[in-house]
Amino acid sequence: MADPSSGIEIAAASVVLGDRPVLTGLSLRLTERRIGILGRNGSGKTTLLRLIAGLIAPQTGTVRVDGFDPFADRRAALAGIGILFQNPDHQILFPTVEEELAFGLAQQGLSQSEALARANAALASEARAHWAKAPVTSLSQGQRHYLCLMAVLLMAPRTILLDEPLAGLDLPTQARLARRFAALPQRLVTITHDPASVGDCDRVIWLDAGRIAADGPPSRVIPLYTAEMARIGATDADADLAG
Amino acid sequence: MERSLAHIALFAALISVLGFLPRIDMVAGVPITFQSFGVMLAGAVLGARKGALAVLVFIGLLALGLPLLSGGANLWSVLYTPRIGYVLGFPVAAYVTGWLTQRLTALPLTFAAGVAAVGGGMIVLYTIGIPVAAYMNDLTLAETAAGAVAFLPGDMIKAIATGLVTGQLARMRPGVVQSRA
Amino acid sequence: MLTLTLPVETALHRVSAAAKLAGIAGLGVILGLTADPVLLAAVFAGLWLAYLPLGPVEAARLPRRLWLLWPFVLVIGGWHLVRGTPEAGLVVILRMLTMFGAATLMLLTTRFDALLAAFSSLLRPLERLGLPVNRIALALAMAVRFIPVLTQRASDLAEAWRARSARKARHRLLVPLAIAALDEADHAAEALRARSALV
Repeated sequence: MADPSSGIEIAAASVVLGDRPVLTGLSLRLTERRIGILGRNGSGKTTLLRLIAGLIAPQTGTVRVDGFDPFADRRAALAGIGILFQNPDHQILFPTVEEELAFGLAQQGLSQSEALARANAALASEARAHWAKAPVTSLSQGQRHYLCLMAVLLMAPRTILLDEPLAGLDLPTQARLARRFAALPQRLVTITHDPASVGDCDRVIWLDAGRIAADGPPSRVIPLYTAEMARIGATDADADLAG
Repeated sequence: MERSLAHIALFAALISVLGFLPRIDMVAGVPITFQSFGVMLAGAVLGARKGALAVLVFIGLLALGLPLLSGGANLWSVLYTPRIGYVLGFPVAAYVTGWLTQRLTALPLTFAAGVAAVGGGMIVLYTIGIPVAAYMNDLTLAETAAGAVAFLPGDMIKAIATGLVTGQLARMRPGVVQSRA
Repeated sequence: MLTLTLPVETALHRVSAAAKLAGIAGLGVILGLTADPVLLAAVFAGLWLAYLPLGPVEAARLPRRLWLLWPFVLVIGGWHLVRGTPEAGLVVILRMLTMFGAATLMLLTTRFDALLAAFSSLLRPLERLGLPVNRIALALAMAVRFIPVLTQRASDLAEAWRARSARKARHRLLVPLAIAALDEADHAAEALRARSALV
């Protein structure tokens, strides 16, 4: 049964993509309201997010979100977890705004007409009723981000996973979205390489090469991470090829 | 499930986009374009069933009036033209191309997909397209087949391209060529 | 190109999408029943009249839309002239132009999502025979969503090619474009999984 208080529990989970081990024997229990996961490109943080979202299953170990297995139990996952992809163009599946918004609701069991009505009501409450019939290609990058967030919020999941949610956006859009995130009642798990965007979290986890490098309050983890990033940046580490 | 559906939808989109690439050399009312290459590729890469479904989705879009057939035609506007047999033969061509690619396992993939594209995208497609075109043009089969000889060089190039592209896709995205998975 | 729908509301906009789809199919059948060029020309003229409520601009634009088909007209017309069967050629050309004009009229006055919904409701009775109507509708909508994405990708690729080469890209775009389609499919599959419970 879904137990919202139990949070996200990962036990000895390993993920191998192709023949590259991405996560190795990872164990985590996340119950805080605001969680940040820091790491460089290729550290395994996006894989961790996909694991929690149930988009992939671990080769070994288990993943539970509020007590259910997000990979096997998709119905429970729809109510339990939402994920905002880094690139909105990878998330949008439909030609028009209202279809995009209605899709998740219909998947949760609403009829298509109810789902469309809810989508339109949500747009109206955000002063964006005129977006409903617009082709998604007519939206700007920031607007598409916003559309994806609305699509996730409409499904009212208890936990929302955010993949580099502010990357590539202009500053006013960043400020608007950050404000929006801060006001959400849900549990938020943010993954990023940018320590500035997890400064307000209750807990920050630094992931390096698929393992936890540090775990604790941002005041402790962020300085460690920043110092290490500065040290690596001073060397010529980029010349090495992975594998 | 999600992956199959996404592949079917994306190959339907790919076949549509290939129709926009400009190239209109015409033979008796039938243009030569990359579109039929897209049909062969769908079969060779996705396999018989999914390849044919991708083409059926493409035809569904044409039936809804979208001008996606190369040259800007939709399904309705080719209904009474010599081209209709080729268009309705596309799903069968994709199916046979995929079926052959799946079965010619003794050959390297590039070669198998190329041979399969000749079988599905040429032999089978001509078998459907030529009689229909003959009927529409009020010609004998032999006369129409003689006219279709003009397609041979273009279609051979497309079949070879199908083999080469399928082989390259298999190298660049291992596991993606589902006709061999 | 895929969103032709005119913003101006006309009487034709209010006809249901299902009726228009059925109308197109019906017209297709009717045109097949007659091979009389005079009758076909009359239907074609009638179609032009149907464009008039869309306003003079749109009605005047019809010939330009039909002009798109000139290569087909030329080949079919030329062919039949050479064979000495101009009447048969005229029949083929009139049917083609009429059907093209009618389908364009449908797109001009109907939103594509409404057409798609009508299409699925027409298929709905076949659901009992095992036809997965919802998945078909989903695949059609996704294909429409990704056509402009892949078109953009093709022109980006052509641009990237031009930036570094004096020769034309042409067939060299085929592999990267197919890769783009496969990668988009992977992303779409994840996005689909993230918000659906397809089994």
